[in-house]
Amino acid sequence: MAHVELAGISKAYGAVEVIRDLDLAIEDGSFTVFVGPSGCGKSTLLRMIAGLEPITGGEVRINARRVNEAEPIERGVAMVFQNYALYPHMTVEQNIGFSLRMAGLSKSAISQHVAEAARSLQIEPLLKRRPAELSGGQRQRVAIGRAIVRQPEVFLFDEPLSNLDAELRVSMRVEIARLHQRLGSTMIYVTHDQTEAMTLADKIVVMRAGRIEQAGSPDDLYEDPANSFVAGFIGSPRMNFIPAQLRAGRLEVAGSPFTAALPGADGPIQLGIRPEHFTVGEGAAGFSLTVDVVENLGGTRFLYGTLADGTTLVVEARDRPGLKAGDVVPIGFAPERAYYFDADGARIRKAH
Amino acid sequence: MIGRAPFWTTALVGIVALIWIVPILGIVVTSIRPPSEVTLGWWRLDQVSFTLSAWQRVWEAYPLANAFWVTAQLAGMATIATMLLTPAAAYAFHFLKFPFRRLLLIIIINAFVLPQQVVIIPLFQLWRELGLIDNFLSVLIPYVGMSFAWSIFLVKNFLEDFPRELIEAAKIDGCGALSTFRHVVLPNTLSPVFAVGILQFLWTWNALLLPMLYLRSNVPLPVLLTRVSGTYDVNWDLRSVAAIVTTIVPLVIFLVFQRQFASGSQTRTGAKE
Repeated sequence: MAHVELAGISKAYGAVEVIRDLDLAIEDGSFTVFVGPSGCGKSTLLRMIAGLEPITGGEVRINARRVNEAEPIERGVAMVFQNYALYPHMTVEQNIGFSLRMAGLSKSAISQHVAEAARSLQIEPLLKRRPAELSGGQRQRVAIGRAIVRQPEVFLFDEPLSNLDAELRVSMRVEIARLHQRLGSTMIYVTHDQTEAMTLADKIVVMRAGRIEQAGSPDDLYEDPANSFVAGFIGSPRMNFIPAQLRAGRLEVAGSPFTAALPGADGPIQLGIRPEHFTVGEGAAGFSLTVDVVENLGGTRFLYGTLADGTTLVVEARDRPGLKAGDVVPIGFAPERAYYFDADGARIRKAH
Repeated sequence: MIGRAPFWTTALVGIVALIWIVPILGIVVTSIRPPSEVTLGWWRLDQVSFTLSAWQRVWEAYPLANAFWVTAQLAGMATIATMLLTPAAAYAFHFLKFPFRRLLLIIIINAFVLPQQVVIIPLFQLWRELGLIDNFLSVLIPYVGMSFAWSIFLVKNFLEDFPRELIEAAKIDGCGALSTFRHVVLPNTLSPVFAVGILQFLWTWNALLLPMLYLRSNVPLPVLLTRVSGTYDVNWDLRSVAAIVTTIVPLVIFLVFQRQFASGSQTRTGAKE
């Protein structure tokens, strides 16, 4: 188990700086997820922790020991790759045992450890097969087996589920969560899928363009986003942003009687409301929504529609069967569920 | 006529193939007929008799067996050295970082444009200085060295598609540069390495220029063949046998391994493509 610290980390490829002066502490035994759009530097960060990518500036510390120059094996990290990176010429058994063989363990010790790892992942019947004979999910299990067999201090996952189909992705997600509970090791996980981040993480680190936008528990990020980027990234379907104006300390939205007292200078701002925080129906007036598409998920349904000024909205209408495209419905929301962002996307907190 | 080649293609290919086969047929026929019958051409049927006397006499007349053994040694050693060193060099050039990597690669690959004939005189002087004339090394070193130009190029090209994650996974699993090469890169690079080996074997087996210049006492088959043909004896039958003995090995190698030339990359990380 290990505590990982990133202190003033930066990474540059020539003149291009992809990560700049980044600080982060990852607690012992935590499940930390780096999430962000592609190109935000999350994978690069993970690879710097792994020792696969040289560090341009700053320090990576594992258990308070500087590891910038250490080989991956000395850092005590194991990694699961996006496309599994199983050795094609080795059987499953050899793949899982390879790191132990490199560490010079005896044959009997290796086969004992491999058998244990295989049992815990339920891949014992596959041990004699080669990667080419396995399905995607099985390959992913083998890749995880290869990581756990070494009993590493830190597990690193680089988008491990993105090559799996949707159903398998959900079940593997649960399995990774279980693995974390069972082993209690520090795990760092990279993904661009906010659902994976929300469901797996103790702590989510939202990144954009090489910087941390916000780090915190999934609930913190959902309830209290620091800016419109985080607010839009966390939550599914994503938060609605409605253009508004701030005039003399009051918010005004075109086509709605809704208003709120806000601090800040006059100018354009954004009103953010999550789809699940809207209520549909008479008496809940806030806006009038023209429904374009109704997406029925069985348990719930989402309305995709437009406001009078053309702003598109997604609204959850859990208990409103019978709505169809073309309907115009009044929608409203509880004011305490609304978020406000200035023109640059920074959160405006209401003065109480 | 789906699934069948048109008649004229078959005919054309057949004619070309026949043209190629005629000389080989000629050599075989010449080797089993007495020289007196074939002085006007092996196709003459004035008098027809078959004899294996040339096949029996040639071994005493010329040191054919020794030459065969010498050729096998030279081609074998040059092939093994190339098959071991080429993937190592290609791996280093492709995956490792060291000073002057690019420059060195350019120099080696550019040896491609350098014909053998250009280096024979400086090499001869060098071998004479070093006392390596009539030593196997005098031909093995250039065989292997000059093969690097194309062989490294070929294997490095293959490595372009080699999944980098495998190298990284090996690093995570505790491999250094050498163990990564041995355990991960080499086992997945066998098809280009065998292709390189086959080509190198064929070329070194048939090599004439270097051994003719640098070797004296133990010479390989192509050199012996030139000596056999260089005499004024009426020895068409013996020459034919020597030629067949010289050609048969490359022919068999090619027939057995021709699939290797066509085989492509077998390397997969296990990802769905």
